Amino acid sequence: MQLYVPTSAPPKRKAFRAPVLSSLEGTRIGILENGKLNAEEMLREVADLFVQRHGCTVRTLASKSNASAPAPANTLVKVAQDVDFLITGLGD
Amino acid sequence: MSAASPRIQEVPDDLLTAIDYCYEQGWTDGLPVVPPVIDRVKAMLAADSRPAETVIATHPATTLELTLHAAAVNAVMAGCLPDYFPVLVAAFEAMDRPDFNFHGSTASTGGSAPLLVVSGPYADQINMNSDVNLFGPGNRANATIGRAVRLILRNVFQMLPGISDKSTQGNPGKYSFCIAERTRGNPWPPLCAAQGYPEGTSSVTVFAGGGFCNVENHGGNTPEQVLGSAADAMANYGCITLGQSVVILAPEHMRIIAAAGWTREQAQEFLFAQAKRSVEGMKNVGKYRDREYDTQHGDKAHALAEAGFVHRGLTPDDILITMGGGDAGGHSCFIPSWSRGRGSIMQHAAIRA
Repeated sequence: MQLYVPTSAPPKRKAFRAPVLSSLEGTRIGILENGKLNAEEMLREVADLFVQRHGCTVRTLASKSNASAPAPANTLVKVAQDVDFLITGLGD
Repeated sequence: MSAASPRIQEVPDDLLTAIDYCYEQGWTDGLPVVPPVIDRVKAMLAADSRPAETVIATHPATTLELTLHAAAVNAVMAGCLPDYFPVLVAAFEAMDRPDFNFHGSTASTGGSAPLLVVSGPYADQINMNSDVNLFGPGNRANATIGRAVRLILRNVFQMLPGISDKSTQGNPGKYSFCIAERTRGNPWPPLCAAQGYPEGTSSVTVFAGGGFCNVENHGGNTPEQVLGSAADAMANYGCITLGQSVVILAPEHMRIIAAAGWTREQAQEFLFAQAKRSVEGMKNVGKYRDREYDTQHGDKAHALAEAGFVHRGLTPDDILITMGGGDAGGHSCFIPSWSRGRGSIMQHAAIRA
């Protein structure tokens, strides 16, 4: 008996990690909050730890209107021009 | 078009062994599937005139693609007949639109399931159930079309429970959640007409449904009483958000509303106006958010949005309301949106048949 395989072929897009920063000292931070109840508060707390421990600067706060949808490309492009790394995460 | 060719696996020539093989491969929703043999898949594909490699939906996060061929394989596994295939295809064409956000709505802890509402003559042509036991069980078309949606989400888009589907409690509709709109005794235009499709064209509406809430009222004899019960369900503290709603009226309830001459639009406006909670009440249960209130009461606020209250949805049009179910019983239902708001917006598409 011959069966068709019901699963998908591998995705076209390959995910990869961004290169690791050589140092955190004095870097510029962006925050991307996803609109959930405590997202901004939690992410600011995390960012404050980087400020205290590594002398980082919080440069920008970007927001998503839909927590479960990818951030719009223009949001990421705009933020990327101004920061060295971005902090994001859930906030429930 | 996808460059990937359909893959074939050889299994021993024994049906039960093939069913077990599908289990072993992780291809099922927990129930046995029909092994997707070549001839059945080809018969399914014949229900759509386009090339088998035509892509009808793409996962926004992983770029995994759903071709007609893959849809047909999973439709066979779900137990669909070829005549059901156009409904399944239309459902995914609707779900593929960004506003439906099928990745988020299937991955979320919120645990929604895509509800399909089929409207128009095609529902009768394929013997869908719009009557007694509307949400099942018992009808092959309803059960297997809804099941095929789940198998595609699992097998093609890899929305796997516990891995990429992180639903806290799941949802019975994740096995199958597919109904037909009842036209017999329905005083309102069918949804497909209200959606603007030409006469004779059927449609499927997809909605990321967060569950099922029975709305019982055997004593009310006015539209306000019957719809008031539905509005109360829509505004319960566990469900109320700015999200959309589906309300399926039982024929007994619809007769009361129709006798008073209410239109669908009147019913929608009544439900929107009444399905609300006070700001104070929302604060008391910890669900109030300035941002959401401002969205509902800002410059674009609907005239029925009452200051000091959080309504369900943003406008009366956010409430899909029609009729379904058996003749007996004062049991309508409300189906809430996925999770806390407007992460998924219902869509509809024409059924090409």
